[in-house]
Amino acid sequence: MKIVIIGASAAGISAAKTIKASEPDTEVVIISKEDSIHSRCMLHKFLGHERDTKGVNFIPEDFFETNNITWLKNTTVIRLDTNNKFVKTHDNQEISFDKLLIATGASYFIPPIPDLRESKNVYGFRDLKDAQLLDIECKTAKNAVVIGAGLVGMDAAMAMLERGLTVTVIEMTSDVMSLQLDKKSAQAYQQLFENAGAEFILNDKVVSVDVDEVGRGKTIYLASGKAVPADVIVIAAGVRPAFNFTEGSGIATNHAILVGEDLRTNVKDIYAAGDVTGIAGIWPNAMKQGRIAAINMLGEKRLYEDRYALKNTVNFYGLTTLSLGNINPEPEENCEIFIREDRNNYQKIVVKNGVVQGVIIQGDIGGTGFWQYLIKNKIDVSGIDKDVFSLSYADFYDLDQQTGEYNYAV
Amino acid sequence: MKRIIIDREKCDGCLNCNIACISAHEEGSNFYTVNLQSPDAETRNFIKFDAQQGYLPIFCRHCDEPECVLSCMSGALEKDQLTGHVQYDETKCAACYMCVMNCSYGVLKPDKQTRTKLIKCDFCDDKPDGPSCVKSCPKKAIEVKEVSR
Repeated sequence: MKIVIIGASAAGISAAKTIKASEPDTEVVIISKEDSIHSRCMLHKFLGHERDTKGVNFIPEDFFETNNITWLKNTTVIRLDTNNKFVKTHDNQEISFDKLLIATGASYFIPPIPDLRESKNVYGFRDLKDAQLLDIECKTAKNAVVIGAGLVGMDAAMAMLERGLTVTVIEMTSDVMSLQLDKKSAQAYQQLFENAGAEFILNDKVVSVDVDEVGRGKTIYLASGKAVPADVIVIAAGVRPAFNFTEGSGIATNHAILVGEDLRTNVKDIYAAGDVTGIAGIWPNAMKQGRIAAINMLGEKRLYEDRYALKNTVNFYGLTTLSLGNINPEPEENCEIFIREDRNNYQKIVVKNGVVQGVIIQGDIGGTGFWQYLIKNKIDVSGIDKDVFSLSYADFYDLDQQTGEYNYAV
Repeated sequence: MKRIIIDREKCDGCLNCNIACISAHEEGSNFYTVNLQSPDAETRNFIKFDAQQGYLPIFCRHCDEPECVLSCMSGALEKDQLTGHVQYDETKCAACYMCVMNCSYGVLKPDKQTRTKLIKCDFCDDKPDGPSCVKSCPKKAIEVKEVSR
């Protein structure tokens, strides 16, 4: 059997690994636009000169040789023929498959602001190529502007601060990382970034860009009337699933490639995993989807049930935070909110009808992995006679006598 | 694969396993000389006490389907196909701590000092005489056994 995988990030690599671990004789071809394998979660380490291209690789250097996988790099798929089962590449190769995995991820989006898209010094921060182009800019630029203070924007800001640039971050909402944090936990990070020299302009948005004679955006105008000077501009305003090549192929899409619980598309033998499905959102989920799609492609049945994606960890300047679920409930949701803090820690637990809805643990996050299980499985903890902050896996302790693995006693 | 099998009925919470673990990761120390006050003193195993259930040993299971490995974005965590153990390569780790978030049993933790690495059971590098926690347990509440996978 020949399996073709389009995309060589979390989902694609995880699928390839799963296939080769259980059926080494299956032929695997990976097609990727990029010429390197890299973890996008480490791009800030590359841009900040903490790691080189090798250092941001998340697989062993000999991965493709050892596993006998064909890797077509610098190759873009432009068309998919589902009837004759082949994909066509930008350089006119026709690559046939028995089964196909679409793991093309997502691409960044530049908001339709006058002259922003046209500016030559505007970059996303998604692939190593983006980071490499930014790296060149950082050699001469003095003023950097980051649009969007989500995790990606903060990553880019930190790296450019490391490089000695003056960094201004512009954000529409009232706080940094507003999807992951509440006001209090966000301010802790904002303070750390400001200590490192960053400036934040919150509750404001870009309305236009002044472009110079060579096509570079030089001044960014905001709704408040402020003008911010820019030598380099980073856009971190979100991403969208990337799947141009499926047009006309009969693959069902709706802003993302639609998949069933087995991660198969509407077309037999064609699967999708990772950001392109719109249901991954974060690295661990993309890895798991790649793995589950691979198992299904090999003919075994396995459903993708662990869909919980409202989760993240943050680690900037040694301040660590775990964020899960609904952390900023509206008053009408009638949630109970418990807060505990000391000089090094801030903990917030949101509970409704005995079920934990969300947590923020900032500071010491050791041993907090059990919270995700409680939240995603909607475990009622009201019967446990203790302070909610004292909960741990011990309250659900159960051993499998055969394998010695743990289960949840719920 | 070999796994540390827990018989929780036998555990009486002496915490010798904690001290043995800290000592095993403090170069040149032994059970008597280990510096428990050191900021680097970190145990990789935990004993929780519950009024109803008694002592509950929480040790890394080196799971058959390790969530920590699936959440690792740097390649630092890998399940060794030969030994079955989940290995951690500190040089690759980028300290994102998605593994801490995804370990359902709350075993994993960042290092307290720098928050640049993960504190995780390494099965004492598969030394022939076994993990130090197991050797230190006076009640044989933890023992290395072969389990199928």
